[in-house]
Amino acid sequence: MKTAVQDRLPAASPSPWAAKLALALAFALGLAIIVLGVTGMREYNGSGFSSESAYYAIYALKGDTADAWSKDVQPLREALTQEQRDKTDAAVLTLLENAWESQGKGGADKARSILAAAPENDRPALACRLLYATYLVNGPKVSTANKKEIAALTDQDAAAFRQALLLCVAQEDAALPAAAEKTAGSLQGTDRQAMLMQLLFVSSGSSASTDAVNVLKKGVRDKAAQLDAFAMIARGDVSWLWQLIVSNSRTAILIGIIIALDALLLTLLMISDKTWVIDFKWIIILLIVDFLLLFQLMPLVYMVVKAFFPESTFSLETFKRLYTYPLNLDALTNTLIAAFATMILGTLIAFPLAWLVGRTNLYGRKFFRALFVLTYMVPPYVGAMAWLRLLNPNVGTINQWMRVLFHLSDAPGPLNVYSLPGMIWVLSSFYYPYAFITISRAMEKMDPSLEEASRISGSSPLKTLFTVTLPMMMPSLISGALLVFVSAASCYGIPSIIGSPGRVHTVTTRIVEYVSLGQQGLNDATGMAVFLMVMAVIILFISDVVLAKRQYITVSGKSVRPAIVDLRSWRVPLTVLVALFAVVVILIPFATIFSTSFKIDVGKSMFDQNNFTWANWKTVFGRVETVNSLKNSLLFAAVTATVGIVIACTMSYLLQRTRLRGRKIPDFLITLGSGTPSVVIALGLIMTMRGNFGINIYNTAYIMIIAYLIKYLMMGMRTVVSAMSQIHVSLEECSQVAGASWLHTMFKITGPLIFPSIAAGWFLIFIPSFYELSMTTLLYSSTTKTIGFQLYEYWTFTSQPMSCAMAFGILLIVVFLNFVLNRLTKGEFSI
Amino acid sequence: MATVTIKHITKAFGDNVVLKEFNETFREGEFITLLGPSGCGKTTMLRIIAGFEKPTSGELYIDDQLVSGGKTFVPPEKRSIGMVFQSYAVWPHMNVFDNVAYPLTIKKKPKAEIREAVEHVLDIVHLSQYAQRFPNQLSGGQQQRVALARALVAAPKLLLLDEPLSNLDAKLRESMRFEIKEIQRKLGITVVYVTHDQTEAMAMSDRIFLINRGVVQQSGTPQEIYNQPANQFVADFLGKVDFFKGEADGERIVFPGMGGQSIAYSGPRRGKVEVAIRPENIYFDPDGVLEGTLEHQYYLGDVDDCRVRVGDTAVRVIASGFAYKTLRDGQKVRMNIRDIMVFEDDGLLEQMLKIQT
Repeated sequence: MKTAVQDRLPAASPSPWAAKLALALAFALGLAIIVLGVTGMREYNGSGFSSESAYYAIYALKGDTADAWSKDVQPLREALTQEQRDKTDAAVLTLLENAWESQGKGGADKARSILAAAPENDRPALACRLLYATYLVNGPKVSTANKKEIAALTDQDAAAFRQALLLCVAQEDAALPAAAEKTAGSLQGTDRQAMLMQLLFVSSGSSASTDAVNVLKKGVRDKAAQLDAFAMIARGDVSWLWQLIVSNSRTAILIGIIIALDALLLTLLMISDKTWVIDFKWIIILLIVDFLLLFQLMPLVYMVVKAFFPESTFSLETFKRLYTYPLNLDALTNTLIAAFATMILGTLIAFPLAWLVGRTNLYGRKFFRALFVLTYMVPPYVGAMAWLRLLNPNVGTINQWMRVLFHLSDAPGPLNVYSLPGMIWVLSSFYYPYAFITISRAMEKMDPSLEEASRISGSSPLKTLFTVTLPMMMPSLISGALLVFVSAASCYGIPSIIGSPGRVHTVTTRIVEYVSLGQQGLNDATGMAVFLMVMAVIILFISDVVLAKRQYITVSGKSVRPAIVDLRSWRVPLTVLVALFAVVVILIPFATIFSTSFKIDVGKSMFDQNNFTWANWKTVFGRVETVNSLKNSLLFAAVTATVGIVIACTMSYLLQRTRLRGRKIPDFLITLGSGTPSVVIALGLIMTMRGNFGINIYNTAYIMIIAYLIKYLMMGMRTVVSAMSQIHVSLEECSQVAGASWLHTMFKITGPLIFPSIAAGWFLIFIPSFYELSMTTLLYSSTTKTIGFQLYEYWTFTSQPMSCAMAFGILLIVVFLNFVLNRLTKGEFSI
Repeated sequence: MATVTIKHITKAFGDNVVLKEFNETFREGEFITLLGPSGCGKTTMLRIIAGFEKPTSGELYIDDQLVSGGKTFVPPEKRSIGMVFQSYAVWPHMNVFDNVAYPLTIKKKPKAEIREAVEHVLDIVHLSQYAQRFPNQLSGGQQQRVALARALVAAPKLLLLDEPLSNLDAKLRESMRFEIKEIQRKLGITVVYVTHDQTEAMAMSDRIFLINRGVVQQSGTPQEIYNQPANQFVADFLGKVDFFKGEADGERIVFPGMGGQSIAYSGPRRGKVEVAIRPENIYFDPDGVLEGTLEHQYYLGDVDDCRVRVGDTAVRVIASGFAYKTLRDGQKVRMNIRDIMVFEDDGLLEQMLKIQT
């Protein structure tokens, strides 16, 4: 049912000219910022420095050299005799020339020409400040103890100390001050003079901040470039604004582009809308679009570009190198085989289950339905751990039983989980719920009279299933299957736990390995990621565009009570079969995790003598790392879910209650984001958020939260959108007619009505963010480890029983959260 | 063609009894309408005949074959019935031809025969040129006719229609009403038609079964049901009617609510009575038996719907559209009555008229 739609937020700008002017100004501002940024970037590129932040250091140190000269050197110099003064100046010049020549040939000439360019009177000051700047980076070393000794002097003593030093520079035989004796006493000639000057600088007025010096050292690595930096410091070439522009040039360009782009987009929207009033809602849309463009689209585009233009020229070298390497080819075929087999197996499991549970009189169908859906929220890597315990060729429980049962020899086997079939089995057992949920939802929505019409036309229930139900289900069936395919292909947890020990590589595990190899590896990882991405985009296109058009299932106006097929004599056997499946796929793995967590020797039974212990639980949950990672996970997931649900609610309102142009743009981007494989999202963020585009959030919590948002935002959004579409707009209009403001209506009518869905949406973002592994593996830093990653580390490096304890802990938390959700929404929602 | 015999059928969903002791026979070639307010049990009865529901007790025969009852249950696909659903249930993944051909394809008829039959039936419903279209390219009315064609194509003995016109607009509904009746007459099949629309029922049916709260209130031809309603519910459900409490003494009925005015009555009832009068059966007449004040008129074009105050009672009079020119609000009028229906006043009227869902 289409609802009447009204735009209710007040329009911000009254006259068309105001809007046009504002747009033009915004566009001009964007361009101006871009121009500034580009100028700054060109300056930086011409400087030969290795980081823009050098400009910040140059600006900071400029003040220090000026201080040192004007406060602590010039007055003392004035006090000297003309002869002494000349001697000092000459000594400074010599020291400067020596220092610069040692940076590279021609350095001395350069120093001389810089000085020659200055007015005659300013030369001594400039020389001295140049020397100071030089000695900050490349001066004689003064011991920390000596520095402390000098710093401890009173102001008067320090002034006297500096006076004495300067005298010593002018006259070789002058008496060394006590504090300089240890450092300079044994030196002769220019070395002695150099040390004296350095001591003078060390004790002078505002000794330069070590931070700025460090930034300078890092930011200007090249020796020749350093000379330029020194000259800039001494001459004071860099203003506050200039350093800001240059050191943030990339950020400036980025901001400028975004502002200009927003202004352009807004103009286009207004032209197509034929209104010249800037709607407040457009600003909100643009903010969301900006966020998605910046953190989602730009990384993806950059990755593709980088893959085809590795050295800024077009080349397929990366692909050639990557895909001729046997290991990668292996990974590629493994991924395709595993994903395809999982899709087939998963759908073959899911369709009959969905039909049996949704449309027949199977015993306990509601219970089974809840059970299969529950598997959906179990972290896949927990399943991998369980099956590893069960099907390990040596000590796997099932293998041990089979050997006893079939009187096999003690050789390993017969089943081996560390293999492609093993991986397919585990993938299938954890991804079939994706297809199950999609199919059973469509099946329960189907108008039963469509099947009844077939029955009355003379077709048996089974024939109806194949001629009517199945063809009608086909689009949902295919999109469910494709979802399984893409999820299995982009899964990291299961292949990394099962595949890696068995040398069964997949694209995702290869990507993570490449990333750990540094810069070259990063390029190679990109090449692999592009493959995953293209695959995901194609599948997203098929299921969202091609299949959506053939989607027959619509909610009919009547309350739909699906026609239930009587299984008759098949009822008991089929129930037993479904129960058996549940035991094998759900009960046994979880029980294995549970029992392993109490074992000392994983190869023996939990009930064997002396093989039962609480120690694993105590140790693992007593560890600081566990507690910290748990805190991190809860915090990150809560922030992600909260930010996500705010965006979701805004988007739902825009999609459901306005006819605003452009509201589908963020919707499209959000859909694209959730369809992008996790490792690809993470890799894109790594490649673009290291400061190379003006944003540096690498190794922070932000990058992880952003990654989670991009991946899981849609889960929350879909929930809120569908809830809002169920609420007829007349309910809101009625409140308005009664005199309530828009805000009041939102809080008192719409809000309460859709609260269960908002809560559900929040949890739907929270839960997967809470136990996320694939993206975390690529994005974590030592302070931002999460529970999923911590578990992975324990499993790989520490002990399996301990990690089983932790895994079961995570399971309990997830089940508890689901329970809370169920309660909060009065049973309307659980995952 | 087919007879349907329903013997003591009762249907309950849990504790909720939706049909009580349904006991009727639908004769060959008859157009039967099950009429009643929503939730009265009429759709359940239809679905029992189709075989989508099993009766809790009782037996159902089609012709002389027991199809539901005791241990016997013939599934829908074995009953050779045509059915049209309220939502049309036209399969969106098949074109019109395939939709209509489906019942014959199931029977594995030869291709040529199927083609001929489908073309014939599409011709009957005026859809010949749409055979290759898909349902989403058709209007509601066309989809409805596809559903009808599919129900007819296998030449069923019995055709069931579940509110087939309720999703159509008023004009289309009217023309489809006559088309369906026309087709039924031409093919001579037995039709069971479910609706809550009394006009549809009146226009099409040979016999109407008026059902309320799971019980058949009355069955009969449209004329019988309209003119000789078995009880107040039937009188009220079909057409417009007003109820007045009165006292019958063998010669007259006195209405205390009308300031003691009375009308002649020589029927069998005595004492407290409920008099049901259809507004179109009252007319203005200077020599009329009732006197009142004209309070308001609603001019509807073809008729003038008037409210007259008689004593403490408002009486509705449907006069000819021309009356509007001569009558003025507030003037004194006299009225005569063509026909009345008299029921015993058992004090349960209010409860009876409350439509239970």
